[in-house]
Amino acid sequence: MIHIFVNEWRGFIRNRVIRYLSLFFLFSLFSVSWLGIVQNNKQMDAQKHAHEHIRAQWDAMEPSNPHRAAHFGSYAFKPISILNSIDEGINAVTGNVLRLEGHTQNEIVYSEASQSLSMSKFGKVKPSLLFQFLIPLFLIFLSFNTYISERESSRLRLLVIQGATIPRVIFAKVMSIWSIGCVLLLLTTCVQLMFNYQNLDREILSRLFLLISCYGLYYLVLINLTISLSLWFKNATASLSVMTVIWVSWTIFLPKITGNAVEQLIPLPNRIEFQASMTADREKGLDGHNPSDERKKKLEEETLKKYNVEELTDLPINFAGIVMQADEEYGNKVWDKHFGALYQQLGRQKNIIQYGGLINPFSATHSLSMGTAGTDMFHHLEFLRQAERYRRVFIKTLNDEYAFGGAKTGERGWKADTEFFQSVKDFTYQQPKISNLASKYILDFLALLFWFAVSSLSLHISSKKASVL
Amino acid sequence: MITLDSIHKSFRNHTALENLCLKVASGDIYGLLGANGAGKSTTLNLVLGFLQADSGTIHMTHPEHDSTITSNEIGYIPENVQLYPYLSGLENLEYFCTLAGRTYSQIELSNFLTTCGLQREAHEQRTSEYSKGMRQKVGIAIAMAKQAKVYLLDEPASGLDPLASNELSTLLKNLAADGAAILMASHDLFRVRETCTRIGILKRGRLVKEILSNDVTSKELEDIYLNFMKD
Repeated sequence: MIHIFVNEWRGFIRNRVIRYLSLFFLFSLFSVSWLGIVQNNKQMDAQKHAHEHIRAQWDAMEPSNPHRAAHFGSYAFKPISILNSIDEGINAVTGNVLRLEGHTQNEIVYSEASQSLSMSKFGKVKPSLLFQFLIPLFLIFLSFNTYISERESSRLRLLVIQGATIPRVIFAKVMSIWSIGCVLLLLTTCVQLMFNYQNLDREILSRLFLLISCYGLYYLVLINLTISLSLWFKNATASLSVMTVIWVSWTIFLPKITGNAVEQLIPLPNRIEFQASMTADREKGLDGHNPSDERKKKLEEETLKKYNVEELTDLPINFAGIVMQADEEYGNKVWDKHFGALYQQLGRQKNIIQYGGLINPFSATHSLSMGTAGTDMFHHLEFLRQAERYRRVFIKTLNDEYAFGGAKTGERGWKADTEFFQSVKDFTYQQPKISNLASKYILDFLALLFWFAVSSLSLHISSKKASVL
Repeated sequence: MITLDSIHKSFRNHTALENLCLKVASGDIYGLLGANGAGKSTTLNLVLGFLQADSGTIHMTHPEHDSTITSNEIGYIPENVQLYPYLSGLENLEYFCTLAGRTYSQIELSNFLTTCGLQREAHEQRTSEYSKGMRQKVGIAIAMAKQAKVYLLDEPASGLDPLASNELSTLLKNLAADGAAILMASHDLFRVRETCTRIGILKRGRLVKEILSNDVTSKELEDIYLNFMKD
């Protein structure tokens, strides 16, 4: 087997077309990876700079009213993962800056697409584009004729009579073509390791390993299927045609059909409807009862009772701060209700798309690629969750200072000092560990394994049935 | 020794071979003559194990100890030897020898090629630049390097120039003299008469005549053959 494998490689190396194509891919991957890393680092630097600037402004805040500071707010910057340089996933369209302030939960803004030139609005060229579209095509072209050419030239007879069996010949050919895909994947890994060695940690390495493994498995599926088809049809042109149709369906049609079907099955509210229903809940109460004026009245009674005083002016604290926080907490409930439902819908949509991996391994690979790179919806939602969690703590800290920091009810001019503002913790996003998110990708991984099993079985059966003649 | 006993082979409704009985003893070169579709290649493919007979048996045994000959002891030369064009003649030979589990030094490999009539300058040349005859010679070298006990040749002289064809005859005779059993299918009456010890004429899957080549001249063989083909 190893001799056939080595011979195939000799063939690849000595074949001018394959050599030039491989060089083209090597060069493309190298340059695209390098450019991706440069862009990434530039973006990370810009973010770091903006973050430091915002924090410096906050730390230098003159003594002021904490509620005013809550309106001044802060910003949460969505950190760019190192592996964003391989697969930027949904990052280009989701935005990366979230303004955090009192009363309002803002939307994340400043997506790359919204700021880019029209040329790059539809995403930058990243290694994932080559991994998902060009390299598979290259591997299909290498595979479709590899066995048929041996049979049609009668070389297969010589191989068999010299002691090679058909399954071994096929296995060696699959492995040799697959190894080309692996070399291209490994090159990208090397470029990443080379240019990012300072930022590498176990988590990044695990993610990189998983990302490369998923593509490797996908390539094996493609090669298995292509050679298997050539064995079934006993005709290179037929196998190439069928495989091209399958590939186009997987990469172009099925993802769009699945996406449209999912939108029909689990529709999401449009932005205006969503905002309107949140505003209504905020004003009228979560269940259409208990509007804001009633809530305020009740809170006043409870506070007076708690402090055992008759008038708000008799309170040892600033009632305005308590009202602000109560309003904030109510707003949080509204947010939890609406965004909770929205996230659930998004989760269900994603779930259906993941099931789609059973009919489309490309979809599973695509999802795993973004997931391992940390640029998919799960990671984005996790950022939003952490940012909102921080916003709540941030605003509560300010409201508590306003209520219990020394001000009395009605003391509008009361100011917290600079030290207090400096003591407010900054937002730091904790990138979730891939091991903690593993359950989210089980379906994708199983779908890919399912396809690997199906394609291997198909190849096994067809190679058993294949004849020398 | 190659023994085919009552072989029957049909493809759908077409009978390719009918009750074929044939023996090739070691030291024999058996030439199978016949028109296109007579069953020559089918016979070779059956012996090679690429096809299964519907009925009948095929045995290949060592003359000395009657044990069965394995595929590792069979040399095969197809009508059109297709080598790996990106490898030289020497590399092709080395590769096929390695597959057969045989390792030779570069000098030994080169000697095989030379014995088969391939000029030394061509040994290192890529086979994409080879003529059909040159490829055929490498094919013979591959079979020879296997030190086969049985040789199966499908139109081996096809495409060879007269000199190369004559060299092939000599080579096959030498192999037979060393105890190999050789079965070759051909259209070339003259070459078969010159090379083979026994000749069989196949017609529509049936062995209609067996002749010892020493018993006939080339002209007589042609007459016999044409006579059978007329009916």
